[in-house]
Amino acid sequence: MKKVSRDRREVIREEMLRREKILAALREGPRTVPEVAAALGFPAGEVMFWMMGMRKYGHLEETGEPTEEGYYRYQASVKGES
Amino acid sequence: MNYDILVIGSGIGGMEAALKLGDMGYRVLLVEKEPSIGGKMILLSKVFPTLDCASCISTPKMAAAAHHPNVQVMVYTEVKEIKKNGSGTFQARLRKKPTFVDPALCTGCQQCETACTVAVPDQFNFGLVARRAAYIAFPQAVPKKAVIERAGTSPCSFACPAGIRAHGYVSLVRSGKYEEACRLILESAPFPGSLGRACYARCEQECTRAGLEGPVAIRQIKRFVADYYYGAHPEPEDAPPIAPSGKKVAVIGAGPAGLSAAFHLAKKGHAVEVFEAAPLPGGMLRYAIPAYRIPREVLDRDIKNVTTLGVKINQGKRVTDLAGLKDKGFDAVFIATGTPRGRKMKVEGEDLAGVVNALDFLRDVNAGRVSLQGKTVLVVGGGNVAIDAARTAMRLGAARVTVQYRRSRAQMPAHDWEIEAAGREGVVFEYLAAPVRFLGENGKLAEVESVQMELSEPAADGRRIPVSVVGTERKRPADLVVIAVGLEPETEYFGDQLAVNADKTIQVNPATLQTSIPFVFAGGDVVTGPSSIARAVGHGRRAAFFIDRYLRGEDLAGAEVEFDCRLPVVSKEEVLKRQESYRDLPPVSKKEILREKPGDFTEVELPLTEEEARSSAGRCLDCGVCAECRQCVATCPAGAINLAAKEAEKEVEVGSVIISTGLRLFPAGGKPQYGYGRFKNVLDAMQMDRLLAPTRPYNTVLRPSDGKIPNNIAYVLCTGSRDATVGNPLCSRVCCMYSLKQAQLLTGVLPLADVTVYYIDIRAFGKGYEEFYEQAKGMGVYFVKGRISWIEEKEDGNLLLTYEDIENGGKLSRAEHDLVVLSVGFLPAPEVRGLFSAEELAVDEFGYIREVEEDVNPGKTSIAGVFAAGSVSGARDIPDSILHAGAAAAQAAAYVERIRGKK
Repeated sequence: MKKVSRDRREVIREEMLRREKILAALREGPRTVPEVAAALGFPAGEVMFWMMGMRKYGHLEETGEPTEEGYYRYQASVKGES
Repeated sequence: MNYDILVIGSGIGGMEAALKLGDMGYRVLLVEKEPSIGGKMILLSKVFPTLDCASCISTPKMAAAAHHPNVQVMVYTEVKEIKKNGSGTFQARLRKKPTFVDPALCTGCQQCETACTVAVPDQFNFGLVARRAAYIAFPQAVPKKAVIERAGTSPCSFACPAGIRAHGYVSLVRSGKYEEACRLILESAPFPGSLGRACYARCEQECTRAGLEGPVAIRQIKRFVADYYYGAHPEPEDAPPIAPSGKKVAVIGAGPAGLSAAFHLAKKGHAVEVFEAAPLPGGMLRYAIPAYRIPREVLDRDIKNVTTLGVKINQGKRVTDLAGLKDKGFDAVFIATGTPRGRKMKVEGEDLAGVVNALDFLRDVNAGRVSLQGKTVLVVGGGNVAIDAARTAMRLGAARVTVQYRRSRAQMPAHDWEIEAAGREGVVFEYLAAPVRFLGENGKLAEVESVQMELSEPAADGRRIPVSVVGTERKRPADLVVIAVGLEPETEYFGDQLAVNADKTIQVNPATLQTSIPFVFAGGDVVTGPSSIARAVGHGRRAAFFIDRYLRGEDLAGAEVEFDCRLPVVSKEEVLKRQESYRDLPPVSKKEILREKPGDFTEVELPLTEEEARSSAGRCLDCGVCAECRQCVATCPAGAINLAAKEAEKEVEVGSVIISTGLRLFPAGGKPQYGYGRFKNVLDAMQMDRLLAPTRPYNTVLRPSDGKIPNNIAYVLCTGSRDATVGNPLCSRVCCMYSLKQAQLLTGVLPLADVTVYYIDIRAFGKGYEEFYEQAKGMGVYFVKGRISWIEEKEDGNLLLTYEDIENGGKLSRAEHDLVVLSVGFLPAPEVRGLFSAEELAVDEFGYIREVEEDVNPGKTSIAGVFAAGSVSGARDIPDSILHAGAAAAQAAAYVERIRGKK
């Protein structure tokens, strides 16, 4: 079934709501956006908004080189863990 | 004349004009509507054809403009109107929007951004990522000062009579900051636990989400944070010591108004003593609202928030001598004695034993003096007090409890949910019925005679009066009648010391709550008549503010603006327009333990779980944008945040005006066949420029759909330009070149990626442009001559492009890419057209400012003394914009000299 995109403003607003769950998922090890999306049960496009917002404000950071499939892995930063 | 030249818009053209004029010695006012100067160029990755860094070129100009001795920069300012004077000068009216941050104190440390609890799309990253309501526009912003985006006061916060920032604590809960949420409530009111349970929640009635699936459960969220906070802090937290003011205040009445006033007065350093006639403090919270709605331990913990500040509560002490209080050294008095007396029905037998008013009944219950095992109880009235009395009687073991109300259910003032809950507990309702007399034996109630009522035809005010129906009298046995037909103040104790109204309420100045005696103030129900807890709490807060001013010898008149510094309420319609669609998010359902004939006073409403509280808070629409959660205030190390700042208007006289407001990008959604806004991996070129810029929103160029590095990128040239179907036949002049720039940068950033440019023809007319085109081809960029007809999205986020393959016979072909960039054209910016009040600024057939002598006097407009700089008069690349701005600056300087010469 075709996914219906939600309004960008609505998705972005939820970053604060999802932050801890994303950080909890990353505590199990660095993960790509699709991996976090699968762990949380949200569309990857929405998780992308939340994770990039969190990255912008220092809660998480990318690790090393991208995977063979072309995805970066992200981990909680020191600030994200504090 | 305040300034020689007013420059409107601080993009590369505006900055260039301002700097050139400043260098020539002219006094320039550079006005920018955004929080930073720099326009669009500062947001670009690089410039073509040199591939120089856009920031490296822009930032020195931004710094030079900001620090030039002859240039004054006003950011976050709009020009509202410009009028030409007879002397040839101009009068400009400016609106300086409040940033809510003192620029003199802000160090640009970004801690407010980090602490902010509201996420919104970042317009400076063209929606690719979030920013916060408190934000610095971009890393190279000039000035690098924070701004707090506030659209107004959110309807929930605006509606709260207690002055509690509902949006603020909801936003904090959404962020998981529960203790901070409770502390925010405690800034306005000492009763989060009681209000979280028994407030009638005007905030929810006004919630914008109520217009969708239902309001945010704001009251229950408040209860959640109060319970969480009280669980963590059974005793109040230590607060910093407050310097004593040396003033003493007496508060008469320890209900919600009196204790709120005491709370706020104590926080101001005044010594506060409360005098309460009842044995325990709390007023209506304790004596009118049953424990199944407000557990007493919750109320006691709420009251500790007051007593921990050093407030002394004298219980069982009625005070009526106001002058005596003055004699005892009290500098001010606040009367908050509420409405402690039930109104009489004035029917026969009302004085019989067994006929009581509801407040006395509830007080006796509270004191443990009532048992109704197996008794028959009749409650008369239709308000919330009547329902409370009936549900209390059920809990005391009554065999039958009937509520008799003289009007219909629809007119019953009690809340629907309370009526329904009472019904589910076994209370029987008789509508359109009223007692006419109470019959007794040996002075004790035995029977009630009631009559059927009917509603009259509507009177002039539309109200239908209940009238008794003759011949419908009926007697029934009753052990207890509880009369709940209204409450009134007991102000006769104060004799003729105070001016009192006919309904026994105390006369006050409605703004200051000062009575006829200057040192005496009054508030709460004793002033308003029976009202709500939240309103009483609000009165207490208001009284404390004005009593404090009185004690400091400050003027009370006109201080309302300082007390109520809220912004105007946000329009709900405007809020709802911010989104194109809303996901259905039903509100959490109210959970109550309702069973027939409940045997105890266990709290009936169940608390929200943490998950429910957070997801409920997540439904908030952030109507005011900033939630007023005050985390920025708490975090800012410089103390720069001032949420009470107001906008300011300024009028300046200038010799000449240069308009350099630039142009706007064609909104890519205007070509719906390309899927922009629907397909996550279809971007516009400005978004791609952000992804390529050093201050990019992601760690590199990634697909928005899933964070994958794209390896097959398509450019669709002439999107919304040279296109009569969207009403824009003009060539954008730069979309070919900026696309080639991005393509070349992509081959560097993503060496393995394929980049294909779909074009009609490549316009490489400027110096070095043809070479730039050849360079792109040499770097491996593919060029396909053909216009894209439509784009489809695959399940994996890849995109199928259907196009006319011109170089292969014009056949329809398809190609798959994993990211598509729409090279959008430009449109004129519409803002400037209505700026001039007396003369019309002429525009060309496309809407750009018309240059009336383009060949010989570039920049000259239809209004003498007004000049266009840069792309406000037509699409230009950066070198041409700078050149054009220089010409406009020269024209403006010449005009200023001419009008000087005439004087």
